[in-house]
Amino acid sequence: MSARERVEDGLRRLVAASWAERLALSLAALVASVLVGGLIVFFSGTAATCEEPAYGVFGLTSCYNPVSVYVLLVTGAFGSLLSDPFNFNMALTLKESTLLIFTGLSVAVAFRAGLFNIGSQGQLVIGGLASAIAVLTAGPLLPGVSGLLLVPLGVGVGALAGGLYGAIPGALKAYADANEVITTIMLNFVAAQVAFFLVSTYFAAPDSQSVETSEIPAGAVLESALFGSGSDFSIVALAGGLALVAGLYYLIGYTSYGFDLRTSGLQPEAARYGGVDAKRTIVSSMALSGAFAGIGGAVWVLMVMGRFQTGVPALGFDGITVSILAGNNPLGVVPAALLFGVLKSGSLAVQLSTGVPVQLVGVLRGLIILFVAMPEFFRLLGTRFVTTDREPAVATDGGTPSESGGKP
Amino acid sequence: MSVGRLRSAVTGSGLRRGLAYGLGALVAIAALYGLVFPETLAGDLLGLATSESTLGAALRLAVPIACAAVGGIFAEKAGVINIGLEGLLIISAFTGVFVTDAVGSVFSIPSIWVGFVAGVLASTLLSLLFAVVCIEFRADQIIAGLAVWLIALGLAPFAATVVYGSVNTASVGTLGTWTIPVLSELPFVGPVLFDASPTVYLMFVVVGGGWYVLNRTSFGRHVRASGENPKALDTAGVDVTRVRYLAITLSGVLAGIGGVGLSLGQVGQFIGNGQTMVNGRGFIAIVAYLFGNYNPIGAFGAAVLFAGLDALQLRLQQIPAYMVPGSLIQTIPYITVIVVLALVGRTRVPSAAGEHYESGED
Repeated sequence: MSARERVEDGLRRLVAASWAERLALSLAALVASVLVGGLIVFFSGTAATCEEPAYGVFGLTSCYNPVSVYVLLVTGAFGSLLSDPFNFNMALTLKESTLLIFTGLSVAVAFRAGLFNIGSQGQLVIGGLASAIAVLTAGPLLPGVSGLLLVPLGVGVGALAGGLYGAIPGALKAYADANEVITTIMLNFVAAQVAFFLVSTYFAAPDSQSVETSEIPAGAVLESALFGSGSDFSIVALAGGLALVAGLYYLIGYTSYGFDLRTSGLQPEAARYGGVDAKRTIVSSMALSGAFAGIGGAVWVLMVMGRFQTGVPALGFDGITVSILAGNNPLGVVPAALLFGVLKSGSLAVQLSTGVPVQLVGVLRGLIILFVAMPEFFRLLGTRFVTTDREPAVATDGGTPSESGGKP
Repeated sequence: MSVGRLRSAVTGSGLRRGLAYGLGALVAIAALYGLVFPETLAGDLLGLATSESTLGAALRLAVPIACAAVGGIFAEKAGVINIGLEGLLIISAFTGVFVTDAVGSVFSIPSIWVGFVAGVLASTLLSLLFAVVCIEFRADQIIAGLAVWLIALGLAPFAATVVYGSVNTASVGTLGTWTIPVLSELPFVGPVLFDASPTVYLMFVVVGGGWYVLNRTSFGRHVRASGENPKALDTAGVDVTRVRYLAITLSGVLAGIGGVGLSLGQVGQFIGNGQTMVNGRGFIAIVAYLFGNYNPIGAFGAAVLFAGLDALQLRLQQIPAYMVPGSLIQTIPYITVIVVLALVGRTRVPSAAGEHYESGED
């Protein structure tokens, strides 16, 4: 056990030393992304057509004023919070945040195990579809059954289907050495096509123009209690998400499975030395990651859509940014998901009143990842605020194990 | 070179090798069966797969994959894994169409070729950003590559919406085809090889030139050394950082040719919904060069294979007799990529790939 204790001690010191640094890095990356995003907004506004320019500098006029865009991005996400705390915009923000908690956790747990799960999107699609099919099938069989049974069924089936779909790239990685970045991305495409096929061939809603299933039975809908019926936000789903955050935090930090997961992510050699079955850990952590995404898909069906529809929003890709921003820490996923929920909800208000398209969030999503990936950039900017010992980027828990703690 | 390949194949996992050969044998048997009994399904499929129009389409569809793959080879051989190829394809595909539409002809060069150059330039600049982030700021290469992909995936539809009010751009027409006299009259080969889009000819130049530069020039030698043993290269007085910069920039140029080859060479428009019109071709390119064992010509072969599957599924969708739903057929190229990746597994990755190198470091 002494080898294990030594590894555990090393891990604890590593985490403690870098916690504050990672927070600083995430904040710095956020600020930098907002600045670059503002420049992009300004310059794209010079190419847009509008009645009168909103902003001009050095003779260049732009249709968009970046400052007011950002102000609106934040205020638009909260609505008139003081007069009506349960307003529509707030519900929208919380709805997006809730969904992103699940995909953020999905990406985070894989990252902690040293695996890049880019396939949360596909796992979410499969989980959501399975969940919809399950409640649609079970609904007529169990007439009059309340949400006490149908909702857990839908969520459970979603988790199972997402987990199984996530286990595929895990098994391919463990037993065939196939790079999980590529396989998960390919499986995203496969999931979208398979879902399209299944829905259009077997589960299509009658008299519907789009490719979607019938509406799920009323008992399976996650009701929106506080925010009015049209808000598509259920406080129960948010509570469930927070419970999963706590659960994953406990699992990673305080169980022997979590120990195996962290060590195989940080130091695969040490993990093997400590008796960790590397292949089993890879498959199980990818399955767990897929299960979180699958739950996200189930919540999207049961809370937001009330049915499964093809053309699922890019929640899985947003989850990558959420997780990276959170330093792959389950607790960090909550503020990161909230922040991203604000961006997504606020961008709608921005598009409505300034014309800057909602795709702005997609640009910020990439920029944030880029800046978090380069801590060295911020070290050069201000070595006074950060300690100077070299450490790999926040998301490389498993990427370069030799650098993370081996150097004296 | 072939000896090394053979050795690695022999020492590779027996099961995986057996599977690979088994799969190849299965395809061969099906093809033979189709040849002998042309009336059967296999015969029908074989006829379809070897028809002029399918092969021509396969070559056209191979352009983005093959060009990006050769670019990826240079980056990875130099020691930097460029997983952002997909993003480079997206940004060049969009910029090519946008500039063609917005700028018009410059110095009597037709606007579409101005757009072509601009698209390649956009991809080059983005790859340069990737290089700076990886080399100067020591970013994790996988994460930085994903960032390049996601930035392009966000930026192109964003810009298209700003300018055109929709994630798709206006239609600007394609580069058309260049017919080479006499040669295009040749039976079968003629229409496929010598009556094609200019981007197809460009792809041949990229593949052949890529092979030559990598294997026969001193720059190619430096690229390979920079990935295998940067310290030795440094000791020999060659600037590793400079070699890596050049290699990554080159990958941007080549992927840019692939991206505009897709938008201006085939479609004449940028389509930006979902995963955009690039639709994973950048990632398929990575598998293509892994499958081709980091050889531009092998990567080209793999690219034609994947593109051929794509062309075949496009043809199959047009034939109602098969009754196979289009969405399932569309998964064929992606599933093939996964199977290939599982069979090939980790090929001979340059030993310093993914690692940061700093001159004079301890």
